[in-house]
Amino acid sequence: MSTDQDKLIAELVEKGLTGDMESINSIEDRVLRSKAKAALAKAKRAAKSQETADPQKKKSEEKSSDDFSSSVNLNERIENMINEKFPGSLVNKNTETHIQLKPDQWFDIATWLKSESSLSFDSLQCQTGIDVGDNILEARYNFHSMKHKHYTEIRIAVPRQEATIPSVEQIWRIADWFERETYDMLGIEFSGHRDLRRILLPDDWEGWPLRKDYQVQETYHGIVVPKMKEGWE
Amino acid sequence: MGVVHGEEMVLNIGPQHPATHGVLRLQVRTDGEVVSEVTPYLGYLHRCFEKHCENVTYEQVIPFTDRCDYLASMTNNFGYVVAMEDLMDIKVNERVEHIRVIMAELQRIASHLLGLGAFGLDIGAFTPFLHMLRDRERILDLFEMTCGARLLYNYMWVGGLSHDLPVGFVESTYRFLDYFEPKIDEFVNLLVHNKIFVERTADVGRLPQDVAISYGVSGPNLRASGQKWDLRKDDPYSIYDRFEFDIPVGEGGKGSVGDCWDRFYVRVLEMKESIKILRQALSSLPKEGDVYQSLPKKIRPPIGSIYKRTESPRGDLGYYIESDGTNIPYRLKMRSPAFTALSVIDEIAAGWLLSDVLAILGSLDIVLGEIDR
Amino acid sequence: MTVDLIFDFLNQFFTSLSGNEFLLLVAILIPCVVLFGFITIYALVVIYTELKVSSFIQDKVGPMGQGVGLHAGKWGLLQPIADALKLLSKEDIIPSSANSPLFVLAPFMIFVGAFISFVALPFGDSIIIADLNIGIFYILGVGSLAVISLILAGWSSNNKWSLYGGMRSAAQIVSYEIPAGISLITVIMLAGTLNMQDIIIYQQGGIFNWILFDNPFIPVAFVIYFISALAETNRTPFDLPESESELVAGFVTEYSGMRYAFFFLSEYANMFVVSAVAATGFLGGWQSPFPNALNSPGWGVFWMMGKTFFLIFIMIWIRWTVPRLRVDQLMNVCWKVFLPIGLVNIFGVAIWTVLFGG
Repeated sequence: MSTDQDKLIAELVEKGLTGDMESINSIEDRVLRSKAKAALAKAKRAAKSQETADPQKKKSEEKSSDDFSSSVNLNERIENMINEKFPGSLVNKNTETHIQLKPDQWFDIATWLKSESSLSFDSLQCQTGIDVGDNILEARYNFHSMKHKHYTEIRIAVPRQEATIPSVEQIWRIADWFERETYDMLGIEFSGHRDLRRILLPDDWEGWPLRKDYQVQETYHGIVVPKMKEGWE
Repeated sequence: MGVVHGEEMVLNIGPQHPATHGVLRLQVRTDGEVVSEVTPYLGYLHRCFEKHCENVTYEQVIPFTDRCDYLASMTNNFGYVVAMEDLMDIKVNERVEHIRVIMAELQRIASHLLGLGAFGLDIGAFTPFLHMLRDRERILDLFEMTCGARLLYNYMWVGGLSHDLPVGFVESTYRFLDYFEPKIDEFVNLLVHNKIFVERTADVGRLPQDVAISYGVSGPNLRASGQKWDLRKDDPYSIYDRFEFDIPVGEGGKGSVGDCWDRFYVRVLEMKESIKILRQALSSLPKEGDVYQSLPKKIRPPIGSIYKRTESPRGDLGYYIESDGTNIPYRLKMRSPAFTALSVIDEIAAGWLLSDVLAILGSLDIVLGEIDR
Repeated sequence: MTVDLIFDFLNQFFTSLSGNEFLLLVAILIPCVVLFGFITIYALVVIYTELKVSSFIQDKVGPMGQGVGLHAGKWGLLQPIADALKLLSKEDIIPSSANSPLFVLAPFMIFVGAFISFVALPFGDSIIIADLNIGIFYILGVGSLAVISLILAGWSSNNKWSLYGGMRSAAQIVSYEIPAGISLITVIMLAGTLNMQDIIIYQQGGIFNWILFDNPFIPVAFVIYFISALAETNRTPFDLPESESELVAGFVTEYSGMRYAFFFLSEYANMFVVSAVAATGFLGGWQSPFPNALNSPGWGVFWMMGKTFFLIFIMIWIRWTVPRLRVDQLMNVCWKVFLPIGLVNIFGVAIWTVLFGG
């Protein structure tokens, strides 16, 4: 009975979706009629959400692919230009979201990034230091151009034992404090920085807190340093 | 005739000081009353926010973000939530978007009221401070009605909100807007055009536009220097591209472009713009919609990283989130606008008198919780 | 004059000792003690007034609850008494690196300076302790004693912030005495005498005989005198020496307890003195505004107090409305604005008097 009923309901729903309510309304059995109506309502709702989902999905796909393609284009362009002007600095990796560079010619590349008129990255938005494991530390720079309103991300990886990156604080003045903070938290030394000292922690603190192998010191000037609890959840 | 030089005096303003907006130490070298160098010392409020975030889950990070800029918690939450939803590709429904914008704009008004009042207090005008706090209390009452907290809300969650709007919220907000709009004019009459106030702040601490961009200054401080840059219009997130509002820019109304008076006046005008946005958002708020609809069951973002910026009352608030596929962030960095605003103080405060240094510090509207994290 | 009256009374009472210096001494001491009591009560009243007036301006409620029944009410009248008791019972801290003798001396000096100008103030017809022939001149001169004590306080605290406050206040008070004096010269020119009681008697006959309405240049002189008086007593907008938000508490940073209370007290006492001088010189002192009514000596005290308190109320009103001036702007206003206007005033009053008579 149920399969018969199901088939009947499916037929009625089909007819109802095309606008034909006669067949449903003419059913004598009240239970069957109401079941058919409920199934019809559900089918209509599903059809509507699919409609709205489709154009929205398309729109968001378009939009993100727009941004995506524009940023991809921009990153590719920058990479080509860097390859021409500063050969040997580019590390070929996944270019969709960022550009990976070697630290040697960073100062010259940075000066060029700011002065090149088609790029004109005059604002360093954020500089993050991060310990990516495998004894590698990375400094990630997010740049932005007020003139062209485009942005990019540049990453520089250095080995943990010899973490030195040329400083760019003379080009973007905010790099002064950003680099001090990265030095404070991760121990990356920025060569050429005029005043590299700790900024958030006291000057005589030991260790680089944001490294993954950081051990908190036991006492600081005789005060016991509280440890972080294991297993925060 | 030469200039008579005495010995240089080294003076510490802070860390305990009624005017430093938190625990900040400014070491000032003065020759008489003229200041030759200002060096800020930070770190008195450092609470290891970023290290904590590497040990708690993504949902548990949200109360931590509240406490960074404790005077504008809603916009802190907003920035984090927008970044996470971008990373995980979650879309929230219309009602959630509208409520978020309403809360963020109310928070912007509240934060500006406090910042301007504290600035007036530094200059010596005791009364506007109390009038503004009285109006701010009404906004905090609205927040308390919604989520139970007055200062640190934990309101915006990844994919939705923690509470829906209570019954009567929309009417109360309309009543507040009708009450508050004439108060801005009253306040402008009392302080903004007052001759003594203008003399204290016009032409003081001028911040040129290119210096501001190089130092990463953003928000009202940058707009006061003449650059028309507002993330709500230039890099829109959430549904800000649907609303009509202007971006006030400093024009040197009483002195030169980018002085303390401009920074002050830009904030006053921004409050008016926020009221416009609020009225539009309230009128187009959909009555139906479930705020818990898109809350994900488990927050496990795909491997990758994202840097997303939003406009907090102090400037560009940026979150850099790197995820490794688990439910605990691998690295979370918060780029705070007050950090960059404070870094510029040595450049613009040298050469002024001691009272001016405090006026400049007040006009930058910093919150130490955000700088030290 | 009060001392004479009391002396005569005591002579009649103790006929055996009449004419003795001892009686003269007693006759001088009694009004001084009364005056001292008056200052204390006045201080309590003005502190309460300031708190309440500031609360109304700032949309607060101010002291409440200690009503005359000690249950919650609208008055809060016991608040100033509670303040005084609190200050009396605080621990007396002298910083170890401060210069102790000077540190201790400073509050006493400033209070003495305020008190000895009180003895020359006319409270009513023949109610004045020292009816000096050089009344106004004496008050102006003695008021500068405050400067020394402020510098002492700033220097001896051995604290950079106090030093800043002390230096600023010395510069400010010394500079602003000049426009104040120059404005009073116009009064003295019109009245023709330095004696306080005679200046008041010159203004008898109702409100339009007051010096304020005598001459179109006098209101300008009144305004200049009033603003200079604000500067002399270190009130906002000239309260840089003690500006709370900048210098912690300026030159009183290191003082606590009763010593702090002395500075506080003498600021209010100074306010009274300058308001009383303004009331005497410009507003007619204890003369009633109606030419023939309410003239008796009792009413005289009422009018004098009324005018003085009105001016004090305006001082409190200005304090809570207006932001403060920066040090160089303050000096600018004094030397480049008030001084020329004051000199022009003297000239103008003199010419007006010659052309249009008394």
